[in-house]
Amino acid sequence: MSNESIRIRMTYAKLGNLRFIGHLDLQRLFERALRRTNLPLRYTQGFSPHMRINLASALPLGFIGQAEQMDFWLDQEIPLNEISSRLRTSLPSELILKDLQVIDNKQPSLQASLLSSEYEILLPADIDLQILKDQIGTLLAQDTLPVQRRKKTVDLKTLILDWSLPSDSPVTILKMYMMSSPLENGRPDEFLELLGIDPADCLVTRTKLIFEEE
Amino acid sequence: MQTINLHQLEKILYHVEKPGRYVGGEHNQILKEWDLVRTHVCLVFPDIYDIGQPNLGLAILYDILNQPPDILAERAFAPWHDLEAQLRENNIPLFSLESKHPLAQFDIIGLSLPYESLYTNALNVLDLAGIPLLASERSSEHPLIIAGGQACYNPEPMADFIDAFVIGEGEEVTLEFIRAFEALKQAGADRKALLQSLSTIPGVYVPSLYNVSYAQDDTITGVTPSNASVPAFVTKRIVSELPAHPTRLIVPNIETVHDRLSIEIMRGCTRGCRFCHAGIVSRPVRERPVSEILQIIEDGLAATGYEEIGLLSLSSSDHTQILELTKSVYEKFHDRKISVSLPSLRIASFSVALMDELRDIRPGGGFTLAPEAASPRMQAIINKPLDDAVFEETVRTVFEHGWLSLKLYYMIGLPGETMEDVQAILDAGKRVQAIGRQIRGNRVRVHLSVGNFIPKPHTPFQWYPLNSNDELQAKLDLLKTGLHHTGIKLSYNIPDNTLLEAWLSRGDRRLGQVIQRAWQLGAKFDAWGENENMPFWRQAFTDIGMDPDFYAYRERGLDEILPWDHIHTGVTKAFLHRDLEWSKLGKTRKDCREQCYSCGILDAFADKRPVSPLIYWGCP
Repeated sequence: MSNESIRIRMTYAKLGNLRFIGHLDLQRLFERALRRTNLPLRYTQGFSPHMRINLASALPLGFIGQAEQMDFWLDQEIPLNEISSRLRTSLPSELILKDLQVIDNKQPSLQASLLSSEYEILLPADIDLQILKDQIGTLLAQDTLPVQRRKKTVDLKTLILDWSLPSDSPVTILKMYMMSSPLENGRPDEFLELLGIDPADCLVTRTKLIFEEE
Repeated sequence: MQTINLHQLEKILYHVEKPGRYVGGEHNQILKEWDLVRTHVCLVFPDIYDIGQPNLGLAILYDILNQPPDILAERAFAPWHDLEAQLRENNIPLFSLESKHPLAQFDIIGLSLPYESLYTNALNVLDLAGIPLLASERSSEHPLIIAGGQACYNPEPMADFIDAFVIGEGEEVTLEFIRAFEALKQAGADRKALLQSLSTIPGVYVPSLYNVSYAQDDTITGVTPSNASVPAFVTKRIVSELPAHPTRLIVPNIETVHDRLSIEIMRGCTRGCRFCHAGIVSRPVRERPVSEILQIIEDGLAATGYEEIGLLSLSSSDHTQILELTKSVYEKFHDRKISVSLPSLRIASFSVALMDELRDIRPGGGFTLAPEAASPRMQAIINKPLDDAVFEETVRTVFEHGWLSLKLYYMIGLPGETMEDVQAILDAGKRVQAIGRQIRGNRVRVHLSVGNFIPKPHTPFQWYPLNSNDELQAKLDLLKTGLHHTGIKLSYNIPDNTLLEAWLSRGDRRLGQVIQRAWQLGAKFDAWGENENMPFWRQAFTDIGMDPDFYAYRERGLDEILPWDHIHTGVTKAFLHRDLEWSKLGKTRKDCREQCYSCGILDAFADKRPVSPLIYWGCP
């Protein structure tokens, strides 16, 4: 198969029970969902061919994703609305197809161009906004914010790009922008822990993936 | 009806390993509107999701029960230790994966009991659901607890806890049972009247309606129905021909032990190996035609997206159209980027030819053969004769056809076994390695997997004692020493695990107290690890004042009433006895497709045998 492959970029939401499915499992889930579409999927060459798919970024267990992205490849051109209708019946009910686009094969991979992510954290109702604001200010005034990840220490401060507490929201929401490259990945749950808030008491949603402009 | 507090659940799921085990939401899961359904059934496989979900029996019942619009079937599994601790700490009852309703709110809980090591888990599940463990302590306000599965051919050890057992194949009786249950409930029957009436359904065994009496020496003197309308014995249910196979199988979101499209191509076995429980209880042989299997694969792949297919049976090479099947599977599916596994092959070059047909669509890995015994004498005793020349020829073919690794299953602790017979296993392993090296050089890998024989109910060996731990250990030591520095891999079971299974598989209903006590002391997940639970079990026997050796190490009298004698598999006790005598004489039987030995199955199910000669039963 030397013909040019068709690269399809899918934007999707990962909701509900599927929040508790990890990255590797999600990858396998996509492979099976794509097989069910019966589309002419592109496989790698070689002794044990694998389906060519590429997820932008691992979403931590428990997080909702509203605009996650992934690429997959086809052997031949199929109209996007056809792909879309097949995907809708093949995806589990808590993976929602939001958008499909054909992408030039020359464009860099999703991982390579991903810069940062936007998160919205639904905080417990009993949190005092003013106290929280002060707490965040104090934390970020420190030179470093070391957090422990397995055996290495990471400075969370360098991974936080921006934050806000939108006042127009009826519920308490903390908005955060954090680095999201494979080497420098900020985790909002780590920041919550530094604030003394149990991430399990919050609902974290990744609302946007931000990529390098072409 | 209220579901559990979902917010609270989500919170604790952050703190457990693999939370995907507990949330459901998989593709092909069936979620019905709770309040619009008349009867709510929860199918419980009391092991973790990773092990329970791939179970084909569970998938079959889920499919059957969810077909009528007025019944819903959901699933629950045993939570792993971490979630159990969280559930107990937060007072959350065990819940179903689909709608997250507490188990106690279902009308019926159907427990899968395919093996004995799940008994303590079954109690733990009931306890986590807040349901009284003892059937005698439950009333109409509690779900009806029913159980089925291979271990239930001796239901007695679990008799105290289960309201009704379904013996045998569940495909037809399950709906009959539920419709009868609904009618009785509507008529306002209390638990006692309900059970009395359900006990008259063929294949249904209500243990509380039987009285068991014991002699001074603890053997059974009688099992008698408590009133005249209760049947004196219960015969297993079978289906005349294999019913439609489910294809819209639930596709797990997390990795499980068998992540594939499993298809039952044949039920039953005609080989008559004397140690084999499945070989007796699943008689007669019923095959699925090739055309049907191909359609199931087609539909199953479309519905699941699986990348692997498992063609399952007790003895795949014995399917009368197996060569045609493997050829067609290759032709139809080889370009679909899937792999096909065909386990349980007989030792014959023909089996290698079958695997050859699947050439580039086999999952990677080795070839597996199961001689079970190595010396001609032991092979005759267990009725699994194997000509040395055929064995060597098969092994040679395996290596010549490209495999580098060969795994061989053997058993130790078989009746009448001597150290020479164990030595023969060792010699066979070395011979196989030598053949392999001759053909493929030093890259060849030989793996001996040695299991400990456990006498099972309803088999010709049901009267035999288990080998003592010391005997088994001595045999294992011989193998370990003999294989040292040979490069042959050995895997084996520790004798203590064997002992637990031996107690439970041939126990009577007095063991219920021991099971409950062991669970109270902390026993669960009994098949896991190096059996850290053994002290609990020994303590439980002591606390209840019973002798475990009575169940494991005693040769049972041929005239003894065995705890499971009132459960009929269709194969008569007289046949089992005759086969035991043949075994002692070293006499083997042919494949029973060639000659009928009157095991009883045809008499028991004469009315079930299809009239059409096109529907194949293995019997002549």
